[in-house]
Amino acid sequence: MHEIALAEAVWRQVAQEMGRQRGRLTAIHLVVGEFSGTDPESLEFALGLGAADTAWAGAAVHIRTEPLAVRCRGCGREFGPEGISLRCPGCGSADVDVTRGNDLRLESLEVADDDGQAGPS
Amino acid sequence: MGKRVRLEKRVLSENDREAARLAARFDRARVFAANLMSSPGAGKTSLLEETARRLGGELRLAAVEGDLATDRDAQRLRRAGIPAYQVNTGGGCHLSARQVAEALAHFDLERLDVLFIENVGNLVCPASFALGEHRRVVLASTPEGDDKPIKYPVIFQAADCIVLNKIDLEEAAGFSREAFRGFVRDLNARAPLLELSCRTGEGFEAWLQWLRARREAVGRGDFGRAGGRA
Repeated sequence: MHEIALAEAVWRQVAQEMGRQRGRLTAIHLVVGEFSGTDPESLEFALGLGAADTAWAGAAVHIRTEPLAVRCRGCGREFGPEGISLRCPGCGSADVDVTRGNDLRLESLEVADDDGQAGPS
Repeated sequence: MGKRVRLEKRVLSENDREAARLAARFDRARVFAANLMSSPGAGKTSLLEETARRLGGELRLAAVEGDLATDRDAQRLRRAGIPAYQVNTGGGCHLSARQVAEALAHFDLERLDVLFIENVGNLVCPASFALGEHRRVVLASTPEGDDKPIKYPVIFQAADCIVLNKIDLEEAAGFSREAFRGFVRDLNARAPLLELSCRTGEGFEAWLQWLRARREAVGRGDFGRAGGRA
């Protein structure tokens, strides 16, 4: 359940960024790679725990799952593996580099003006 | 509607930065650092004990031991003759770069050849946290079943070296090495797969050869970390 540690890291980054922003945090957007070893549901749960009794308690959490993509070192083909094998459908090699879907990113924040009015976009 | 602040920031960037600092320290001291990961009971500590016995007179070894509780593993390694420092993570299911950095206060890197970082027994969480290591070693053992790689593809794909332990129990465990090799090779074509038994010593020499070769490479400044890793 390293999602607790991940949630703490998310809120630390949020706090850092909100120190530079004026206004109120209304939502955070996260991208969870399918191959990141992170369970989106556990992460959402841990984020809720981490936000309790803080200024971020009311913020909505949006999590988008990013599918795995790899590039074959043999023939250069990029593909999205299906099932339990990373073998290239072109040349059959499993010598691949993961190009997408193996990390966890804080994509963006939504910030409203303190008085709840729409801010400049 | 308010405004949208774009960040596109890796959530673990703080750990990545700390890991990069660790990597620089390992490189400067020319210490080969291996992050050892497996499920509980696969034999990480046994592998290091046996390594200490066989290689202790030849290379200067040390270990950082990660566990939720107790210092039993560090004690075992000290009995086997290598300096070991125990990190207790409390409830933590993995070691973080910061914990390793704190543990390094107990070692003189300049006087070491190889530092093993024995992670908390877990095949999921440790995969996400870089520790500045040169190589990620993933250990599996026959009683766990031959399908571990496809159940935990993230860590097996990211491994730089895969060790299969307890091959002396293969038959009793109903383990198929053929099946295991097949599952590994569908995920990872590059990592050497070393099959051994810490108890009988079968296959152990290949592991020692791998360690010697990695340590020599680091000694001459060939750090060769896998792409995209601190």
